[in-house]
Amino acid sequence: MKSRAAEDIIRIENLTFSYPAPEEGTESQTAVDDISLYIEEGSFVAVLGQNGSGKSTLIKTINALLSPSRGDVFVCGMNTKDEELVWEIRRSAGMVFQNPDNQLVSAIVEDDVAFGPENLGIPAPEIRERIDDAMKRTGIFGLRKKSPHMLSGGQKQRVAIAGVIAMRPKCILFDEATAMLDPRGRCEVMQIIRSLKKEGITVLLITHFMEEAAEADRIIVMEKGKIALSGTPEEIFGDPDSVKRLGLKLPPAVEMRELLRARGIDIPDSVLNMDGLARYLCGRAEPERDSSGV
Amino acid sequence: MPIVAENISYVYNKGQPDETYALRHVSFSAEDGEFIGIIGHTGSGKSTLIQHLNGLLKPDSGKILIDGEDITSGNVSLRRIRQKVGLVFQYPEYQLFEETVEKDVAFGPKNLGISPEEAVMRVKDALRLTGLDYDEIAERSPFELSGGQKRRVAIAGVLAMQPKILILDEPAAGLDPGSHDRILAMIQEIRRERKSTVILVSHNMDDAAEMCDRIFAMKDGEILLSGTPEEIFSAADILRDAGLGLPAAADLIRRMRDMGADIDADGILLPEQAADAVAGWLKGKERRGKKC
Repeated sequence: MKSRAAEDIIRIENLTFSYPAPEEGTESQTAVDDISLYIEEGSFVAVLGQNGSGKSTLIKTINALLSPSRGDVFVCGMNTKDEELVWEIRRSAGMVFQNPDNQLVSAIVEDDVAFGPENLGIPAPEIRERIDDAMKRTGIFGLRKKSPHMLSGGQKQRVAIAGVIAMRPKCILFDEATAMLDPRGRCEVMQIIRSLKKEGITVLLITHFMEEAAEADRIIVMEKGKIALSGTPEEIFGDPDSVKRLGLKLPPAVEMRELLRARGIDIPDSVLNMDGLARYLCGRAEPERDSSGV
Repeated sequence: MPIVAENISYVYNKGQPDETYALRHVSFSAEDGEFIGIIGHTGSGKSTLIQHLNGLLKPDSGKILIDGEDITSGNVSLRRIRQKVGLVFQYPEYQLFEETVEKDVAFGPKNLGISPEEAVMRVKDALRLTGLDYDEIAERSPFELSGGQKRRVAIAGVLAMQPKILILDEPAAGLDPGSHDRILAMIQEIRRERKSTVILVSHNMDDAAEMCDRIFAMKDGEILLSGTPEEIFSAADILRDAGLGLPAAADLIRRMRDMGADIDADGILLPEQAADAVAGWLKGKERRGKKC
């Protein structure tokens, strides 16, 4: 992959990150090993890989929580190594973490959402406008006077996302933000991700749920600190052997698709979710369609 | 070791305006060696229920019998209950605290007053059951292990108590797909070898369908449905109201039926079954189509 122009909101060039040796006599651990990656503005990219493959380390270098051991990371053209730009970088690329209980700081939902913008020194009326907008977009406006500890995991994650949205970022990084949620909570977060994408916000999602990755524009699969696969969901999940070799699974609908293919039923690679699979099977089963050669 | 829960209720903020029933008149029983699944969305009462089963919480009313012994009565020994009922919390690796894996796993048994030799035996056996190699791992710090290994060490700490009843709250949460499958296979193996009664709290309908003898679906502090996986997942509409989904195979069949396909949905829980049913239906459709 060669270096590209400014439409890439994130440019990662020959990035290596090593954690220092835990104690004397032990070796430092290379978590990300000479990766180059370009993320187009407005795209939705899913990052997959086994625990310990380097996904979280990679994403933490993007909003300058970690500084490269070697190589460079640029966010909106800003080098994350430039300490003077750190706050601007974090404002441009906000992060939502895994544990909803570890990222809320205030006793009232709307105060929590206001925390970031307040620290930017934005005038009060604008803060009000921003946080109301962010709470409406994440569906938590009705909860604004509640205490975060009264909320479900999915609701807490939406508060965390609203806090990031209120910063008006160009890009949001989700570090396994759905891992600790129940199916309903995951669904709520995925709906927000879809609407963020529609608004042109770039989304990076680290996940272990293959059906979430199937919705992305592009999937990156990491293994031992390197990018093992990169492609559209259609391409990645069109190659089940590689997916399984990398310790991952197919999304449930694709797993079903493969079982049906093994029974002689033709289904295209573009069928990636359960609704699409059901539609395809019901459509192709119509006799008149069959005779027309569909 | 049978479990009987009779009419248990648990109330938060009793007598206050915001009084909430976390459990409302819950009754169930589990036989020796049964594999029970508990499903339900956050706040449905799953965690509150399992915390009652090893005496961490006491019900406001009703009682719980473990092996015939009422664990809700005042004079019961909690230590004895916890020897019988092992509870593995969500993300149990957050509770590791000792300097070495050996010390961490041995912590529970040592407090039982057994001999050091016996304690070592138990640690070795528990680590073996979780798929870890004692010689390789015993002297290492639990904090330098991988996420999946840490979780196994934490589970080994519960197994070292040799409970007859093993309760696990989302044991595979947050793990990658490979580690997820390995943890579940480990639970099957533990159950086979120890003949334990297992209660698994899960958000994953495919896991519940595949592993459990019976499933309890909870909503608002009550057991809404209980039955075999076939029975539970044939009640798709009730589950949907409770914020629950279906296993992938049943989901596909239900969607196809909603689109007008006349596939028999009965008893379809596993992907292979659904694939056979769909392939059979398509063939039948083709034959009928040709006749027209």
